[in-house]
Amino acid sequence: MFKNYFKIALRNLERHKAFSVINIAGLAIGIASCLLLFTVVKYELSYDTFQPNYHQIYHVVTQDKFEDGITYNPGVPIPALEAFRNDFPQIITGSLFASYGSQVTVMTKNASTSSDKKFIESTGFFFADPQFFQVFQYQWLAGSPSVLEVPDNTVLTKKLAEKYFGDWKDAVGQFLKLDNKITVKVSGIINDPPGNTDFPLAIITSYKTLKANAQLYAYADSWNSLSSNFEVFMLLPKNVSASNIDARLLSFSKKNYVVRNSVKTSFLQPLSDVHFDKRFPNFGDHITSKATLWTLSLIGLFIIVMACINFINLSTAQAVGRSKEIGIRKVLGSYRRQLFAQIIGETALIVIFSILLAVFISILCLPFIKHITSIHEPLGFFNTESILFLIGLGAAVTLLAGTYPALILSGFRPVLALKNKITSATVGGISIRRSLVVAQFAISQILIIATIVAITQMSFVKNADLGFNQQAVLLFNANGDSIMHSRQQSFKQKLLLLPGVKAVSFNADAPSSDNGWFTNFAFDHRPDEKFQLSLKFADEDYFKTFQLQFLTGKPYDKSDTIKDVVINETLVKQLGLKDPQDAIGKEIRLGGGRWNTIVGVVKDFKTSSLREAIKPTLFCERKEYYGVTSIKLNSSNITKTKAAIESLWNQYFPEYAFTTSFMEDNIKQFYEQEDQLELLYKIFAGIAIFISCLGLYGLVSFMAIQKTKEIGVRKVLGASVKNIIYLFSKEFTILILVGSVIAVPVAYLMMNHWLQNFTFRIKMNVGIFLIAILISVIIAWVAVGYKSIKAAVANPVKSLRSE
Amino acid sequence: MLSLQKIFKWYNNGVNRTFVLKDIHLDVAEGEFISIMGPSGSGKSSLLNVIGMLDEPNEGSYTFMGEDVFKLKEKQRSQLFKTHIGFVFQAYHLIDELTVYENIETPLIYQNIKTSERKSMVADMLDRFQIVGKKDLFPTQLSGGQQQLVGIARALIVKPKLILADEPTGNLNSKQGEEIMNIFKELNNEGVTIIQVTHSEKNAEYGERIVNLLDGRIVMN
Ligand SMILES: Nc1ncnc2c1ncn2[C@@H]1O[C@H](COP(=O)(O)OP(=O)(O)OP(=O)(O)O)[C@@H](O)[C@H]1O
Ligand SMILES: [Mg+2]
Repeated sequence: MFKNYFKIALRNLERHKAFSVINIAGLAIGIASCLLLFTVVKYELSYDTFQPNYHQIYHVVTQDKFEDGITYNPGVPIPALEAFRNDFPQIITGSLFASYGSQVTVMTKNASTSSDKKFIESTGFFFADPQFFQVFQYQWLAGSPSVLEVPDNTVLTKKLAEKYFGDWKDAVGQFLKLDNKITVKVSGIINDPPGNTDFPLAIITSYKTLKANAQLYAYADSWNSLSSNFEVFMLLPKNVSASNIDARLLSFSKKNYVVRNSVKTSFLQPLSDVHFDKRFPNFGDHITSKATLWTLSLIGLFIIVMACINFINLSTAQAVGRSKEIGIRKVLGSYRRQLFAQIIGETALIVIFSILLAVFISILCLPFIKHITSIHEPLGFFNTESILFLIGLGAAVTLLAGTYPALILSGFRPVLALKNKITSATVGGISIRRSLVVAQFAISQILIIATIVAITQMSFVKNADLGFNQQAVLLFNANGDSIMHSRQQSFKQKLLLLPGVKAVSFNADAPSSDNGWFTNFAFDHRPDEKFQLSLKFADEDYFKTFQLQFLTGKPYDKSDTIKDVVINETLVKQLGLKDPQDAIGKEIRLGGGRWNTIVGVVKDFKTSSLREAIKPTLFCERKEYYGVTSIKLNSSNITKTKAAIESLWNQYFPEYAFTTSFMEDNIKQFYEQEDQLELLYKIFAGIAIFISCLGLYGLVSFMAIQKTKEIGVRKVLGASVKNIIYLFSKEFTILILVGSVIAVPVAYLMMNHWLQNFTFRIKMNVGIFLIAILISVIIAWVAVGYKSIKAAVANPVKSLRSE
Repeated sequence: MLSLQKIFKWYNNGVNRTFVLKDIHLDVAEGEFISIMGPSGSGKSSLLNVIGMLDEPNEGSYTFMGEDVFKLKEKQRSQLFKTHIGFVFQAYHLIDELTVYENIETPLIYQNIKTSERKSMVADMLDRFQIVGKKDLFPTQLSGGQQQLVGIARALIVKPKLILADEPTGNLNSKQGEEIMNIFKELNNEGVTIIQVTHSEKNAEYGERIVNLLDGRIVMN
C-alpha cells in the first residue's frame, strides 16, 4: 500500500512541478529559518550549562534602593566575601575580580627582564581565590586550584599560554609581568572554557596578589564601596534553598551595609539567569534577554506558519484537480482514513524533501549567523537536539499543513467528485482560504512595520546630536599608574606639536560611555541630595577635545586633584535651579569630602547610549584615575598622524602596549544588539514577504487555470485586458487591506514595547504604517501581475476550445 | 440478491422539491443481466448510484444480500460493497497518475491483499483482456476502448458478484461497444449479476430484462 502511495505521490510532485517547487521551496525556507533560529536560541540557552553544579551556583548581586528608584550592581562590597564565609560556613563562596584592559608582559626565562611581547588583555584578566574553582569546575592540565592560595601565582588557559609561550607545556614555571608592576609565576594551566560561557577566563592570578596591589586595581576593602568588578558566587548544598539564603542575606545586608541616602540589599541570582538578566552586566561579551529569545522563536513560528499556510492554500486549490482520483478511489473501496493517510503521506514526502533542502540552505547560511547575533563561535546542527528538533518540526509541519487538505480531499463525496461537480468555490469553503491569506499578509506586514520602525529608530539614534563632537577622536587606554602619570605632561606637549593634533586630554572616561562612577553629594551646604551624580574625572582640556558647549562659566584650571568643578544642565535642573547662572560660584561636596566651587555649566550631552536618560554629571580633576588619553585629530591625514602618535607613545611609554580606538566606533558598539535586531527584522521580513508572494503566485496561477474558461467567455463578451486584471487583483488587494487591519495594532504594540528600551525615541506615525501597507500591496501586485496579465491576454478561442 | 422498496430521492431547490426517483421498487436476482433505459434526465444514473451506495435516497429501504443496508454502520456497508460490487463508468474514470497495471491493482490494495497474490491476479486480468503489452502505459496513452477494457478489468479484479455499468459504451464506437457487451455476456454466463444503463436498444438486448425509467418512475412494460 505504501509503495502505491509513494509512487503516486512522486508522480503528483512531478506532474505539478510548479506547485511542487513552490511548496518545497516555501517549506524549505521556513524550516531552514526555524532550524537556524533554533540553533541560535539553543546556543544562547546553553550558556554555562556545562558547569556540573549549574543548578546550585548562585551569583550574589546587590540592589541599591533610592527614593526615586533602584539601581542594580552585579558586585558586593569587598569585605562581604569574608563575612559570607563566616556567616554561611556550609556554603562554598568563591570570588572573581576583573580588570579590563590590563597589560601582560612576557618575561625572559629568569624573570630578570621584560621581553617585547606585550599584550593588552581587554577581557579575561581576573583575580580569584581557590574557592572559585570549587564552585566552578574546569579541567586542570597543570597545577591545581590550590596554587591560587599563594601570592604572585597565576593560572593561564591553554589558549593564552600558547599565545604567550608557543606551547602550553612550556608555560609552567615561567614569569609574566602584570601592568608593568607585578611579576607573577605561571603555576597552573586550565583547559579553555567553551565559547558559551559568561566567564571568559584567560589569566587568573591569586587573590592575595590583588590584595597586595590594592591601589593599582582600585581594590577598596570597604563596606562603603561597591564595584561591578568584584563578584561573588555561592555553591549551595542540595538541601539549602535559595529563598532561605535570600532571607538571611536580607538581614546580612541590614547588619553590614552602610545606609546613607539609599538602602543596599544583596540577594542571589541563579547562574541560569546570568546570561539573560539585563539588570546585571556579566563578564561575558553579551547578555541576551529572554525577550529577545522569545522574539526569535516567535519569528521562527511566524515563518513556518506562513509556509504551512502556503501549503494548505495550494493543496486545497489543487484538490479540485484531484477530486476525480479521490472519487475513483472511494468507489474502488478506499476508506476515508486510508485516503487521509495517503494525503498525509504525500505531505510528509514533500516535508522530507523540504527538510533536506532546508539543511542544505542552513549549512550555507550558518557562517552569516554572527551578523544577527552576538555569537562568535561557529555553530553546528549535527547534534542530537537539532536532529530531534528537525524530526519534531517535520512531524508538526506535516500535521499542520497536511491535516486540512487531507480532511477536505478525503471528505469528497464520490458522486460529486466523479461528476466533476467539485470546483474551487466548493472546496473547503473559500472563506478559509481567504482567512489564511489574510493571516499571511498580517504576519508579513507586522514584520515590515517592525523593520521600518527599527530602521527609523536606529538611524535616529545614530544621527542624533550627542551634544559633543565624536568625530576624529582617538582614544587609548592604559592602566593609569604613577609612572604613566609622571610622563603624561611632557607626552602631551610633544603630541600638541604634531600638525594633525588639535587637542589632547587625559581623563578616566569618554563623555558617552557605559561605565559609571556614582557618588552621593551635597549642594550649597544643604544636607545630602536624594539622588546620586555621575562623576567624570578629566583634565582641563577635556571640554576642548570633545567640544562640549558651555551654557555659562568656563572650564576649570589645570590641577592635579579636585578643586573647581563643572556640572551639566541636567544636574542644574535636578537641583531645582531655574538658571544655570545660579549654580556658578555655589559649592558642592562629593561623598564626605571637601567643598568645591562650581565654575561652569555645560549644555546637556548624551552621557550614555540613547537608551538611557541623561545623567546628572559632574566633571572634576583627579589625576590618579586618568587611564584614557583622548586626542582630537585633524580629519585629514589621520593615518599619518596615528603613526606619528604611535612612535611618540613607544618613545614615552616603551613598556606599555599601544591600543587605540576611535570614539565613533565605540559609540557604534553601544548599539550592536539593536543593529543585529534590525538586520534580523530585515532578513525575516524579506523571507516572510517572499513566502507569502510564493503562495500568492501559486494561488493566482491556479486561479488562472481555473478561470481560463471564465476569462475566455468574458473576453468574448467584450471584457478588456484591464477588466480581467482588475478581476484578479481586486480580491488580493482587499485581503491585504484586511490583513493590515490585524497587523497595524499588533505591530504598534510590539514596536512600542521595543521603543521603550530607548529614552530617546522616534514617534510611530501613520506614515510608517501606510508605507508598510503600500509595500505589501505593491509586492503582491507584482507577484500576481505576471500570471494575471498572461491569463488576460490569452486568446479566448483557444481556451474555450480546450474545454 | 438485492431489493429496493419505495425509494424516493429528491433535491430541494429553493421552495421546490425536484424528485429524481419516485417510488422505485426493484428486485434483482442473482445472475440476472438487467438494462436500465430511459430519456436523458430520467434518473438512470441516480438509480445506479443508489444501488451502488455512492448516493443515499431520501426515503425507502434497501436490502443487499440479505442485509438491510441502511441499518449497517458506514464501515460495514463499505466492506459489503467493496467486496461485492464492481463499477464501470461511461467516462472510464481511471486514475491518470497510475499506469494500467496500477489502476487494475488499486482495488486489491484497498482489500489488503498480499503483493504476490495481487501480482498474479492482475496478470490474469491483463491476460484475459489481452492488454499485457499496455500494462506500463498511462490512461491518457490509451484509446477509449482500451481505457474501458482497463475499467472493466479493474471492476472484475475483486471478483464482484454484481457489476454496475453506467453507459459503459457511451463513449465508444459500435465495434468497441460490441466487444464490451460480449465481455459482459460472458461474465453473466459465469454467474456475475450485471446492471447496465444504456441508450442503445441493441446493447439493451444483451440483457434479459429491461427496466424503463421515465421522470424517476419505473414504467411497466
Ligand atoms: N445535485 C443535483 N441537484 C439537483 N438536481 C439534480 C442533481 N443531480 C442530478 N439532478 C437531477 O436529477 C435528474 C436525474 O439525473 P440523472 O443523472 O440520474 O439522469 P440520467 O437519467 O442519468 O440522464 P443521462 O441519460 O443524461 O445520463 C436530472 O433531472 C438532474 O437534473
Ligand atoms: Mg446518466
